[in-house]
Amino acid sequence: MRKILVVLLRELNARVRTKAFIIMTLLLPVMMVVFAVAPALLSRGGNRTLRVAIVDATHDSLGARVEASLAQQKLSRDTNAVPRYELHRVSANAAGIAHVRDSLVAHTGISRERDPQALDGVLVLSDTTLVTGKLQYLGSNTSAFEAMGQLEGAVSRVLTTTRLERAGVNPAVMVGAMTPADMQTVKVSDGKATGESGFASFIVAYIMGFILYLTMIIYGQQTLTSVIEEKTSRVMEVLMSSLRPFQMLLGKVLGVGATGLLQLSIWGGAIWVVTSQHARIAHAFGVSADAMQQFPIPSMAPDLLVVFLTYFVLGFLLYGALYAAIGSMFNTVQEAQQVAIFVQMAIIVGFFTLFAVMKDPTGSLAVTASMIPFVSPFVMPARWSLTAVPYTELAVSLVLSVVALLAVTWVAGRIYRTGVLMYGKKPSLMEAIRWIRAK
Amino acid sequence: MSAPVVSINHVTKRFGGYTAVKDLSFDVPGGGIFGLLGPNGAGKSTTIRMIMDIIEPDDGTITLFGRASSSRDLSARVGFLPEERGLYKKMKILDHLVFLGEVKGMRASDAKTKADKWLQRLGLTDWRLKRVEDLSKGMQQKIQFAGALIHDPELVLLDEPFAGLDPVNLQVMKDVVVEIARSGRTVLFSTHIMEQAERMCDRIVIIARGEKVVDGTVSEVKAGFGERHIALNFSRGKETAERILRDRQLVAKVDDYGASAEVLMAAGIDPQRLLAALVAAEVGLNRFEVVEPSLQSIFIAKVGNAAEVPADGAAA
Repeated sequence: MRKILVVLLRELNARVRTKAFIIMTLLLPVMMVVFAVAPALLSRGGNRTLRVAIVDATHDSLGARVEASLAQQKLSRDTNAVPRYELHRVSANAAGIAHVRDSLVAHTGISRERDPQALDGVLVLSDTTLVTGKLQYLGSNTSAFEAMGQLEGAVSRVLTTTRLERAGVNPAVMVGAMTPADMQTVKVSDGKATGESGFASFIVAYIMGFILYLTMIIYGQQTLTSVIEEKTSRVMEVLMSSLRPFQMLLGKVLGVGATGLLQLSIWGGAIWVVTSQHARIAHAFGVSADAMQQFPIPSMAPDLLVVFLTYFVLGFLLYGALYAAIGSMFNTVQEAQQVAIFVQMAIIVGFFTLFAVMKDPTGSLAVTASMIPFVSPFVMPARWSLTAVPYTELAVSLVLSVVALLAVTWVAGRIYRTGVLMYGKKPSLMEAIRWIRAK
Repeated sequence: MSAPVVSINHVTKRFGGYTAVKDLSFDVPGGGIFGLLGPNGAGKSTTIRMIMDIIEPDDGTITLFGRASSSRDLSARVGFLPEERGLYKKMKILDHLVFLGEVKGMRASDAKTKADKWLQRLGLTDWRLKRVEDLSKGMQQKIQFAGALIHDPELVLLDEPFAGLDPVNLQVMKDVVVEIARSGRTVLFSTHIMEQAERMCDRIVIIARGEKVVDGTVSEVKAGFGERHIALNFSRGKETAERILRDRQLVAKVDDYGASAEVLMAAGIDPQRLLAALVAAEVGLNRFEVVEPSLQSIFIAKVGNAAEVPADGAAA
């Protein structure tokens, strides 16, 4: 046992000290802060009051209605917030529209210091706008999708109400009719509402699956590479004289797994810090807390956390042992890759089964998948999060997983035992089977 | 002779159709330096790896310290330097030595103390925090050597320990090996360089093509080889001497150089008898020396063409 720990710690140490690990581990929190703050920082420029001229060639009051509607818009929801637009309506007739427009465009996109009358854009409403919905905006900020969307949405609403009014619909009825549906979903578990929204459970299920998928792919591959390195550097011989193959295998898989868990906890901690210290970070970057991107982290119930970690460890050991056994059979990563691809496929199948399960977590596919050892690490935590899983199902799934784990480690240990001392040619499948059966 | 530390009984190992070791039996007594000699491909490494239980014999048994259990259960008492040297390239030297000590069951703190001692002895203290990959090949060899000995094993197995060392490092390693033997512990090393074995070993086994050819203490082996040369130098009575030397019951062959002669004793005859005969006949002698055959010549005579067997990777 102590020797497994020694191997585990060496593996963890060797991995944690690599540049790749340090960069990867630090990069995610940094990226999170960047993603949270950058939009607010970038849109700070865009979130100022826009000076827009409206060229109004409409016959009816459409231009005035648009102006009134836009004038109501504020930069934020505060009651005393700054208006979003500074408007300036110029009437024109159908013949003079181009002339008026061009004279205004001449003032557009110029800094205000150089031209006190400078404009950010010109909105052109023609006499056909009400019927066709076509209008034009010429401005310096046309690539700001959000700003364009807001402007178009506002005009669109004015068009709808105006048209309906023309058709004789009472404006009060209209406002009532246009209120959209707003459904609240609440997850029920064991006959009790948990207070979690359905969306939150869904996100949790997805994130758990994704974490497992990513860790398996990245760290599984690392296990394989590190076994091959030990073979090619011939450290194996020294280790073989002091350790049992099983100790080496288990120590290595656990060591790599511990590295993965460490990284995950650092990331988890970072997410927690970024979310809880949200206001301070916003302040540090000089942006308003409201403008900062929010990462909704749905809370994980303790029982779900236990289920997730149990399956994470089971899954990691299962796949890690397979990767280590494959690594032990070959002398180059390229050779090993040809076989490792099948393990990767199993991981991908597991991950994609998750999506089917998320659609119908109580269906027969979900129940069956949560029993199959190589798939259950992805499926069971997701089901646990999405629905109430009977304890008998959990127990059967766990027993099957543990049995599979023992079988896989046994087979992997035997392949490993012979494989690590084989140099030279690639073994065939038949040879690998012979290694397993050897006494 | 004390109880054997390693006992090999009728061990056979085949790789596919190739027999690397064939019905091999020998004992390594406790204490002293034991040489496992043989040409390339004779099965030396295979034998050592079987002793270490890295590979299992197809037939026969190997016992260590008189116990049937695997050497891995006894690994705390055994040190092993494999022929293929390898270390974790990215690890710091001190950490690496501590790791090697810990997998032998040492406590981390003891391993660290020992590692520092070894680094000092090998003149590598300044390098203790460097990575293995920053060291020269010779330095890496020394580290590996220290790694095999860090837990003060009672039995040390060294597979070609002196291969590829410069004379200075060779001297350092040789001193270490001799010191271990002097402290009452046992060293078994393999080599194909006979002069080393001749100077260092108390006992040797020569194997060729997987089979034992010679087994015994170095002096036994030389005595058993039978062919003994006597170098003679006469001051007077040369004629009398010539008459004695012509006795084919006593002497097999004479190389006459005038004032001196080189004589090959007849099979089974003690050189002492020749000396007695010469003294009795009042022959004046400046020199009467029993020239022992070198291990090199015994090796060549016994192994013969086996040395030309092409080296096989699996059994080198």
